[in-house]
Amino acid sequence: MGLDAFAKNIIETDLLVIGGGTAGCPMAAKAAEQGIRVLMVEKSNTERSGNIAHGIDSYGVFPHGISIKELLPMWSQRMTKRNQGAGRNVDENIDYVIFDKEWWAVEELERMGVPMKWDDGDYYWTPHMIQGKGLKLGLRVHWHDVKPKMARMCAERGVKTLNRVMIIDILTHNGRVAGATAFNTRTGEFILIKAKAIAMATGMYCRLFDPETPLIWKYKMRYHYNPATCSGDGWAAAYRAGAGLAHMDDASWALRIRDDITNSYGNFVNNDGILAKQYYWNGEMASPYHANTYVGNREAESKGLIPIYQSLEHMPDDFQKRLEVNFLDERMVSLKLAAERGFNPRTHRYEMMTYKPLQMMMVQGILVDEHFESRNLKGLFAVGDCAAGVGGAYGACTSGLIVGADIEKYISEAGEPALDEEQIYKSKETAYAPLSVKDGTEPMELECAVRFICERYIGAFKSEGKLLEGVRRFESLKQEFLPQLMATNPHYQMRAMEVRNIMQLAELHLHGCLNRKETRGNYVRIDYPEVDNSRIDRLTVNRMENGEPIVEKFLVPELKPEYAEALK
Amino acid sequence: MDKMDGHYEEKFEFPFWALIKQRADEKDISYSDAAAEVCPEYCKTIRYRDTEWTDEQIANREAEGVAEVQDSNRKIEAGARKE
Repeated sequence: MGLDAFAKNIIETDLLVIGGGTAGCPMAAKAAEQGIRVLMVEKSNTERSGNIAHGIDSYGVFPHGISIKELLPMWSQRMTKRNQGAGRNVDENIDYVIFDKEWWAVEELERMGVPMKWDDGDYYWTPHMIQGKGLKLGLRVHWHDVKPKMARMCAERGVKTLNRVMIIDILTHNGRVAGATAFNTRTGEFILIKAKAIAMATGMYCRLFDPETPLIWKYKMRYHYNPATCSGDGWAAAYRAGAGLAHMDDASWALRIRDDITNSYGNFVNNDGILAKQYYWNGEMASPYHANTYVGNREAESKGLIPIYQSLEHMPDDFQKRLEVNFLDERMVSLKLAAERGFNPRTHRYEMMTYKPLQMMMVQGILVDEHFESRNLKGLFAVGDCAAGVGGAYGACTSGLIVGADIEKYISEAGEPALDEEQIYKSKETAYAPLSVKDGTEPMELECAVRFICERYIGAFKSEGKLLEGVRRFESLKQEFLPQLMATNPHYQMRAMEVRNIMQLAELHLHGCLNRKETRGNYVRIDYPEVDNSRIDRLTVNRMENGEPIVEKFLVPELKPEYAEALK
Repeated sequence: MDKMDGHYEEKFEFPFWALIKQRADEKDISYSDAAAEVCPEYCKTIRYRDTEWTDEQIANREAEGVAEVQDSNRKIEAGARKE
């Protein structure tokens, strides 16, 4: 039949980078510096897309004054305590590689045009009193306009960028990646890409629960945990192509803060050592137990003590000014929104809304080795939040730069990719089907229905009955409404594709919770209150094999001897 | 209770935001570009590099029991269901 029959626009490249965010941009720029052909596709626009589109004020958990040897077990313990998914971290080898290369990554970013130092020529370390009593754990960065800078960094190095282009599926041949199908979300043009390697950098899966802000939908998805673009496209496409996804049963919880004029809760306290006080509605100081926990909030509610408020009124003037700079760096519009609403944090309190699941978490995503290559699909790399065990801006930049620097070797050994016409046909047919549906289901309508199921039947406190009812309702949506998704233009075609991806991953989450019969940390099954020891130190992985979904459990990898030796 | 009465002020503006707006108007540039100019100047008015003073302030928060709130939460997280 010939590929021309499917698409007029056929692009050949060495490396296809999917997602132009915090991980994708550094990776694409670094790879282009090696002289290989790099194509980066971004569903939105690389100048203002991704999790740090609104800016960011802190560069991760960077170790200062501490060796990797000390940091590794500390980090593993922190991940285990917080995430509770595997009973331990995903892969210490990944942690090792990232910690080992973090300084290199910081210097590379500075060299490539992303400011890491402050105007006075020095780094600024955040004072942090919680994790280590005086240990400096993060770089405060002024990154309010980091995305335009990253986009420029890519353009200057010859990265070919396609904005407003959404990937549909990854194409494979003989167990390795061969390319991808895509379409332009403005013109609707179908695009065929041949690539020797693919790097997935589409971030976290964020759109299965209601977002943190209680504002109207227009604003709901413009915030930390729920940027509109993070609909799990990368995870879902990788899964369909045969890559494994780790720990799909987990979800992270977080506080919501009312008014949408503040950074998320953690940033106040983490990024400048500022600790807030909390009060019950009646003005009494909230007890530690009640203030920050879901369980505590329920108890406080039963006693009529909620809402709980967070107060910054006691902060000295210097810290109030630091807060303003935080606002600028992480979300400048907060300064304007506050002014428009007359909300003064020096005299008024923020309502802390209840803990709830918001998105997936760091231990989840595409299962990769410490070279960030999929353990199940040759030639597929995943970086940043997209990869299981990698998170934060520091993880995204470092993993992206590592892959960008090392990819040349892989490319030189990869043969010419061969595209499978049947895969292309099926992919195109699925993506363009909504355009021919009349009087069908609006994509956002279906997405809201999925969100409702996730909130109502999965939620924070899970039980078999609720989960089974959720499965029943989900199946109904899948059978009745998914085939009826309609799109009147390419933009809505993109929304329809997003919902397809959201539903695929929501189904894995729903069934993952149903099958996980234990309570561990933030994962609560009311009907199974004990820890399931058979899950300790084990990864749970979902993947497709010969078109059939399978679930695997296997041991978390040990630290490799070469890394262990280097620590001595 | 007073804190919740009149939750919003009639007019409020962060001093920093006022400076950014002023710079943007003066030079007819975007808020983003103005912020990039103003931020370093504003940071000089903040004792970021005075670690002794900052540590003292953080110690004050600890003395007020705020740190205890944070530490307790982590303990609670780990064993919430058993209690």
